[in-house]
Amino acid sequence: MEQLTFDFPAMRAVAHRAHVGVVGSGDLEVLLAPNDAQTAHVVIRTSVDGYGHIWQHVLERFFTRYDGAARIEINDFGATPGVVALRLAEAVEASEL
Amino acid sequence: MSAHVEFMARSSFIELGARERARALLDAGTFRELLGPFDKIESPWLPLQGIVCQADDGVVVAQGALDGAPAVVAAIESAFQGGSIGEVAGTKIAAALELALRDCERGRIVRPVLLFETGGVRLQEANLGLAVIAEIQAAIVALRRHVPVVGVIAGMVGCFGGMSLAAALCSQLIVTRQGRLGMNGPEVIEQEAGIAELDASDRRLVWSLIGGEQRVASGMADALVEDDAVQLRDAVVAAFARGVPATHRTEQIDTYLDRLAQVDPNTVTPVSMRAIFGGQPGADADMAGVEAVPATEASNAAPTTRGSTWFAALTGGACVQRPVAYADAPLGNTVARFVAVVPDPAQRFARAVDNVVGLEQGWRLARAVREAITADADAPVKRPIVAIVDVKSQAYGRREEMLGVHLACAAAVDAYAAARLAGHPVVALIVGPAMSGAFLAHGYQAHRIAALDAPGTMVHAMGKAAAARVTRRSVEALDELADRITPMSYSINAFAKLGLLDRLIEQIDADAPSAVQVDRVRGVLVSLVDDARRGPHDLSHRLQSDAARGTRAASIKVRDTMRAQWCDD
Repeated sequence: MEQLTFDFPAMRAVAHRAHVGVVGSGDLEVLLAPNDAQTAHVVIRTSVDGYGHIWQHVLERFFTRYDGAARIEINDFGATPGVVALRLAEAVEASEL
Repeated sequence: MSAHVEFMARSSFIELGARERARALLDAGTFRELLGPFDKIESPWLPLQGIVCQADDGVVVAQGALDGAPAVVAAIESAFQGGSIGEVAGTKIAAALELALRDCERGRIVRPVLLFETGGVRLQEANLGLAVIAEIQAAIVALRRHVPVVGVIAGMVGCFGGMSLAAALCSQLIVTRQGRLGMNGPEVIEQEAGIAELDASDRRLVWSLIGGEQRVASGMADALVEDDAVQLRDAVVAAFARGVPATHRTEQIDTYLDRLAQVDPNTVTPVSMRAIFGGQPGADADMAGVEAVPATEASNAAPTTRGSTWFAALTGGACVQRPVAYADAPLGNTVARFVAVVPDPAQRFARAVDNVVGLEQGWRLARAVREAITADADAPVKRPIVAIVDVKSQAYGRREEMLGVHLACAAAVDAYAAARLAGHPVVALIVGPAMSGAFLAHGYQAHRIAALDAPGTMVHAMGKAAAARVTRRSVEALDELADRITPMSYSINAFAKLGLLDRLIEQIDADAPSAVQVDRVRGVLVSLVDDARRGPHDLSHRLQSDAARGTRAASIKVRDTMRAQWCDD
């Protein structure tokens, strides 16, 4: 298990928290909640060690389009980058309902 | 409607996650989750082993309305760690049931629904998983006197291990064809008993033995529904409408012993057993019923075990019936009932000749305990019941699963819990191994637990070699983990640190005790009986020791937080 943290700039407040996904094989859960500071803070716990650079790329791409001030916690059980991106998008959608 | 159109109109329940399942059962807009993912009460044990947690530990508890009536649903998420029951996950279920019980006792009926999807104990939390399953079982037995406890096994994981006993304790059990219910999973049986006993890859065979359709046809589940959220919800509502049954399945001891007597273990098949088991239960309310099958006579060939040694020592040499020995004998200034599981070389079920808990053992344990309850029904002071625990495992076998070893073990759980609730002081004395489902059936419902501090006494959820295979670790790696992670340890001293052991009795020769040593053990039993008489009839005592406050902090936090979040109006 490896823990990774990332910070990204944010432009706007997040209204609601959202939880999506499951810590099952090839999947992950995302907990997205409003952050008091005007930044996005991401904490990842992943079962697969040594992929920090991939997470960096996936999150950089995600944050080119997302500017919410959110605390995002990810519990990952070996999801592929595509699944990670889908779950993040799903979490954002759920938080904006 | 054509079959195709009908199929297309269904909304699959199996495909839903635990949260969506709970939501689908409750009336629209009433779902209110307790201890949700943002409360972040996670497993304290998984990170120590480098395993990623899930924020809700894989169990979703929600209050809401079911057909307009207050309800609580506990749903197990099968995708997280196979739906396994760890300390937090299991305590969430137990706490929900305990709060429903509290409300029912105050006159507010809450309908409890359990959505089983589990392989049983989470081996990474071994002894605490087993302990919380005992607590879930205790809560079901207490709660189902007030309101039906309704269980659902939708699939595709099914319901196994200690949780299969919890399912068997439910008032009503609803299953799909895809669902399975068994004590030992097919892979475990293949591993423990060999591929000739059961080829776990033969899905047709597996489902013919323990699949939902077979369980309903043989009377071990109540309703078979399609994989459809609406039909499933309707079945749950209908189950509550039937009310609390006059006798629960696990109380029908004579009926089931009679059915087992009609079975030829060598020729019985899933189809042939239906004719025997599918019928309505006979009159069973009268517990003083005649012995349906004579217990096997004591055999000279039977090996001596610690169970038989201590049974003889504590009863002053009472006749040893096999496979379940029981007798009344003096204890302090009263008379107690002593119960032990002993080897039975003449046992009809060949996989249960040792000191294991199989079909006959489970039902006969239940009878031994319930006889005492019936005999003392009008007595102001109930006799103590002492479970002498030396059980290597439950019986692993194809026939055992088919004929309901989970139900037999649940009957024993029920009897011990019922004795406790009736006011009998129930004490477990661990003199040998106290393993897994066998200990759940014989000892883990006790008010108080004592153990001999001797080589060979141990409590665990699975034998070491088997646990190593299942968790894909070496035995050495397991030993290393057990040194660091208390609930994984096989040592009785580590078990004591969980707050589950009331007394560790040192310097006793467990195999050949002297008269002085037997007297010392008897003295401990007397003092534990006195303790039990003073305390409440539930298992809350297990969380009150200093050891529990340290090691089981998560169990306590889950209960406190859920109590704070529980809505009782």
